[in-house]
Amino acid sequence: MKNIKTYILITLLAAVGCDVLDQQPQTAISDEIAIRDLKSAEAALNGLYSQIQSTNYYGSNIQIMGDVTSDISQSIGTWDFYREMDTYVTSAGNLENRNLWQQMYAAINHANNIIADVPNIEEITPAARDQILGEAYFIRALAYFDLTRTFGGVDGVYGEMGVPIVTTPSRLIDENSFPSRASIADSYQQVQDDLDEAATRLSGFSSPNRASEASVTALLSRLNLYTGDFAQAETFATDVIDNFSFDLVEDFASIFADENTEEAIFELTYNTTDGNDIRFWYFPSSRGGRGDIALHEEYVDMVASRPNDERGDLIGFDANVGAYYSSKYAKAGGDDNIQVIRLAEMYLNRAEARVRKNTPDFPGALDDLNEIRNRAGLADTSGTGVDTAPEILDAIEHERGIEFIQEGHRWYNLIRTGSALNVLTNIDRLNGDPVSLTNPGRQVFPIPSRDIDSNVNLQGQQNEAYQ
Amino acid sequence: MINRYKLGTGIPVSNSKNKLLKAASRAWQLSCLFLFLFAFTNISYAQVTVNGTVTSSEDGQPLPGVTVLEKGTSNGTSTNVDGEYEITVSNTESVLVFSSISFQTQETVVGNRETIDIQLSEDLQLLEDVVVVGYGEQDRKTLTSAVSSISAEDIANTPSASTDQLMQGRAAGVQVSANSGTPGGGIFVKIRGTSSISGGSDPLYVVDGIPIQTGNYGLGLGGETTSALADIAPSDIESIEILKDASATAIYGARAANGVVLITTKRGSFSAPRVNVSMYRGVEEPVNRPDLVTGPQFEMLMNEAASNNGEAEPYANPSDAINTNWADQVFRTGVVQSYDLTVNGGNETVKYAVSGSAFDQDGVVKPATFSRNSARLNLDILASEKLTFGTSTTYSFSNRNRARNNDNITGVLGGVYFLPTNLPVYDSNGDYTKFSIFENPVAAANEVDFNMDVNRLIGNVFADYEFMPGLTFRTSWSLDYNQIKEDRYDNTFLNNGSAVNGSALSTVAIARTWTVENTLSYLFNVGENHDFSALAGTSVEETTFERTTAEGEQFPSNDFRRVQDAAVQSASSSGTSSGIASFFGRLKYEYDSKYLATFTVRRDGSSRFGENNQWGTFPSVALGWVVSEENFFQFEDISELKLRASYGITGNQGGIGNFQARGLWGGESYGDSPGTSPTQLANPDLKWETTRQLDIGIDIGLFDDRLNFVYDYYYKKTEDLLLAVPVPLSTGFSELVQNFGELENKGMEFGIAADIIQNSDMNWNLMFNIAGNRNKILKLAAPFNVYNRDIYRYEEGIPMYSFYFHEQTGVDPATGAPIWTDVDGDGTFNPNVDRKIVGDANPDFFGGITNNVNYKAFDLSIFFQYSYGNDQLNWNRFFQEHGGTRNTGYLSSQLDRWQEPGDQTMVPRMTSANYAGNLRPSRFVEDGSYMRLKNATIGYTVPIEFLNKLGAGISRARIYVTGQNLLTFTNYSGLDPEVTATASTALTRGIEFYTMPQARSIIGGIDISF
Repeated sequence: MKNIKTYILITLLAAVGCDVLDQQPQTAISDEIAIRDLKSAEAALNGLYSQIQSTNYYGSNIQIMGDVTSDISQSIGTWDFYREMDTYVTSAGNLENRNLWQQMYAAINHANNIIADVPNIEEITPAARDQILGEAYFIRALAYFDLTRTFGGVDGVYGEMGVPIVTTPSRLIDENSFPSRASIADSYQQVQDDLDEAATRLSGFSSPNRASEASVTALLSRLNLYTGDFAQAETFATDVIDNFSFDLVEDFASIFADENTEEAIFELTYNTTDGNDIRFWYFPSSRGGRGDIALHEEYVDMVASRPNDERGDLIGFDANVGAYYSSKYAKAGGDDNIQVIRLAEMYLNRAEARVRKNTPDFPGALDDLNEIRNRAGLADTSGTGVDTAPEILDAIEHERGIEFIQEGHRWYNLIRTGSALNVLTNIDRLNGDPVSLTNPGRQVFPIPSRDIDSNVNLQGQQNEAYQ
Repeated sequence: MINRYKLGTGIPVSNSKNKLLKAASRAWQLSCLFLFLFAFTNISYAQVTVNGTVTSSEDGQPLPGVTVLEKGTSNGTSTNVDGEYEITVSNTESVLVFSSISFQTQETVVGNRETIDIQLSEDLQLLEDVVVVGYGEQDRKTLTSAVSSISAEDIANTPSASTDQLMQGRAAGVQVSANSGTPGGGIFVKIRGTSSISGGSDPLYVVDGIPIQTGNYGLGLGGETTSALADIAPSDIESIEILKDASATAIYGARAANGVVLITTKRGSFSAPRVNVSMYRGVEEPVNRPDLVTGPQFEMLMNEAASNNGEAEPYANPSDAINTNWADQVFRTGVVQSYDLTVNGGNETVKYAVSGSAFDQDGVVKPATFSRNSARLNLDILASEKLTFGTSTTYSFSNRNRARNNDNITGVLGGVYFLPTNLPVYDSNGDYTKFSIFENPVAAANEVDFNMDVNRLIGNVFADYEFMPGLTFRTSWSLDYNQIKEDRYDNTFLNNGSAVNGSALSTVAIARTWTVENTLSYLFNVGENHDFSALAGTSVEETTFERTTAEGEQFPSNDFRRVQDAAVQSASSSGTSSGIASFFGRLKYEYDSKYLATFTVRRDGSSRFGENNQWGTFPSVALGWVVSEENFFQFEDISELKLRASYGITGNQGGIGNFQARGLWGGESYGDSPGTSPTQLANPDLKWETTRQLDIGIDIGLFDDRLNFVYDYYYKKTEDLLLAVPVPLSTGFSELVQNFGELENKGMEFGIAADIIQNSDMNWNLMFNIAGNRNKILKLAAPFNVYNRDIYRYEEGIPMYSFYFHEQTGVDPATGAPIWTDVDGDGTFNPNVDRKIVGDANPDFFGGITNNVNYKAFDLSIFFQYSYGNDQLNWNRFFQEHGGTRNTGYLSSQLDRWQEPGDQTMVPRMTSANYAGNLRPSRFVEDGSYMRLKNATIGYTVPIEFLNKLGAGISRARIYVTGQNLLTFTNYSGLDPEVTATASTALTRGIEFYTMPQARSIIGGIDISF
């Protein structure tokens, strides 16, 4: 066989194998091993915080949405999606609306994974397990809370249907992947249940960057304002004010300029490689922002009419665009931390609860209100005609507005208190006609058309104004 | 000029074995075709030995490497370097067959001669008849599948950076359009329609048998993409074959559903060294510039909008406004130039082709440029009678100056359109005027420093071993190494840089594909009339991709541009890989050159799919009937009549991630804490898309094939589409890639090639092709919308690339308010629901017309390319006909606004309600039909007598002038009806959005050979 060498060679060549079919990802791992021990569970928990700090959620979107829909901010740029919200013509296809919905459910699914898998880890101490699960329950509660108030409304004020409730992790698509909307009561109940689960597992407070007993209690205070249990809202607010070492910081600006101040109850942390977009949206282009979200001039005028209000110092005029901007978020590289819940809200929650509870406590309410006013450099309300319940509630709402400029509170509070249709009228805009919120159905955002299209069980369940 | 784009040209009547013999002689050159002559002959003992010399009838030079075969046997030899041969044949009745590539085959009876000298004459006709197919070559005459060919001559001297663009208008059914005029930018290529929604719909490109990487490897800059095909010098290309039907493509199995483009580069020949120098140089100029309002008009419009809205007029004296023409600041006339040097030649043991090439092209909008320097070595070593080995290797280095254009509002063109024309270029301090988030276009053009360098090596080594005549083993080892390095520095004059004191990015991506292919081919016949050729092979391929990126901010000054000098730095790296293992085979059968059948099958295993469906099988069958070979066929004028039909199944696994079947978690971080997060739902059943294609074709040749027609009807149905099916967002995910959905493409292609005049003084040759494709989505999980503002919609029953808008039928002459179609008929127009499909970007038909005329020493070529019935979205108008709802620039079309009762216009009265942000007016969807004088060339070839007198050894010299994109006939209002600004967004097409238009080029060139 003179050809033997040839045959050997050919056999060799043909032997180049099928091992090319065995490829493994280099930048991801299988979902089967994602949560398997303490270290991976902690990593998954960090990832859960990353979900809520996303630009689509607390990284700027929920603040802007809660802001442009109120009388505080206006969308003057090219990004129509915020302009739609600003002018009360939001469509069900609105991208930012969908982004918020999507990101909140991404956080919920992430939390569901932790809640499902962490109890199965054997080599983990009960304390560590409780800590991880408690934080996951809190974040799921926060996401359901934000979902319900954004898309469902407030029971007894506006809205009937809540949101789809999903409490198990999604690994495949099956018949369970197509939930319909729960009732609004059940949706808020889900928040309550998750906060209860969190409360039994978390104790104390060590860092505002993590869910804690304090953040659970603070969110319970807020939740009870939405569900109308004002005595509870007061109790929880008092608990937060008294039982942890929080304090209103003297220099209002430092809440934003510094990080993790004594006032912060739940503050999301960022750095330049893990940044957010909030400054980008709220800053004029001359300062490196996009400049889309400016302040309404009337609102600025109102703040400016209180010359001693230190919070007015965080407002500046950009001559280039001819508009006012807030400078709460001013750090380069998206490094601004985000205040999700801070102590000032607890005072204002308690003030409101004290007025609205069955046995009103006006002096207590005014004390709380004045705490916030004094810190801002303003005098007490005494002698300014803030005496009756409506007057005090108005003053609280007014104070909330200024205190939480561009923190995304005002829209939700106006809806919650039922005053949105009265307050949000004839709001002057820089690049268009004045706008008013006239359609009561627009007190909730639309279920994204994307989910109506892809989930047969949501069809027919769109909010009324968007059908 | 040689017309290689012959449609079914045939040799009137010839012996099929002759062709086989010819083919055998060039087996060394073919990628994998095995030709084997197996004859059952009666053995005779009266042997005769003859010898002789084979020369060329043209110049009398000896021809080495000519195959000399005893007809009907496997007994053969070939001529040596002096053209000499010696052969012992059975008896004096034996017939000797002399064959060589590009020469007419001759036969002669040995008789009583001992010396037989033969002169072979060149036969260009025969050369044209060879078609490169997958793993081989075939004779056009007996081809059973639909293949279009484009020759080097067709595309010579065309100032295009990349090969894909050169196919435009040249091949029926191959739709090609430039995504933008950016040099080296991405090109849209679809063969017989778009056969996939998200599985990737670009053809597979195979260069000299190597499946190469294509697509966009550049960093995202809005919709701007780059083409990896621009790394191949068009001047190296000998031919491009486009495989269209399933019979032709199925040999490429799981990657063949979108068609296959085979690119063959020039190789050496049996001749003395021949040097060819080609160069051209010319200008590139913009055809159209953006038509924006003047500064005074801008202020007048702003005042009108304010007053219509009941607000104070912002400008006191519009007539005194500054007037800046932003477009003039950044549009330019650029240079395009190309220099090629090729040496080829060879002898009986070595054939070589060596080339070097340099190409430079400026974009018509600053600062875009593209340049490429490349070298190629194609070598064939005929080591012994049985063993041939060699290489096809090219290296290229290309550089792009990139700019933020296309679907990018903060780029050069974004600035041109958005900046009000009443602003000066520089403010009173001499700094660039800043405006909102937009970049001053002059700054964007002059200050951006964005370079992309690509080092590309595409090489293979191969060896052919002929066990016996006709039975050949081939092994081929290939590498496609693609290294892409990009460096960007945005200095402090740019918005992006000013916020952070300079911003730099440096990234290196390496994409590497290696392929090993082994094939065995066997050619034989049974009796007189049954000819078989068989092929079997294996292929293994692995692709890896890695990217490393470093970014920096906060630079001491703009003098520093590299990340090292940044105060804030960050870096990342990532990688991925995939593999395919395959077995394939083909059997071709011919009965008496009349009845033809081809069967192919390929079995592919892919690392991308779940274990449930890792392997797939892709068969095809084709039948042909050469009616004109029948004895009963007695029509003198019809030189060829062939009927073809093919059916087959091909696959597609593009467009999806390498690990799409698995449930995955990826890395995330929360502040400084590392974390993980779910990224993908699992789908273990995931598999390739399947396209079934039926093709029925007819080839007709008249008057000795001077007039050729080819017609094809095809029907393609794609099932199990790899579709990112939207899942309820409440799952925490937005989509799951599933095999779901169906898509159909059907159409017709028709081509004419005619030698209208053929005489010694003059040749006039006409080529025409037209094709229409109808695309329809048959099945989808749920309708979905694509791109910002949901302007494309995908739903059952409509074609892909459909525009989803509010239909505006007019403007009320009484009030100036737009009139909208109330789609749901509820009596009111509700922007949330009253949207509809108002058109689509697919042409009804498209094609090209080429006229080539040679008259004595002059040659003239005129090439038109056209597309009819495609809608083109002028998305610039959406932003620049804002009616005062923005404070940004206006297109001049805004001046057509309604002003007073009775005005007839489509542009509404300027109020914020008429231009509300949630409106998507259909008036921006325009008719994008066009016909373009793509190329016109006039050349002069210096007469050989003159060159001989010159005595410089020059054998050929031609000078020419050519123009590209000379004329465009269209009603479209934008700059270029062909572009797609959003090329980086899948499923969008036919949208102009701050897009660099294609240039008009005027070029002079010279080709010299010696």
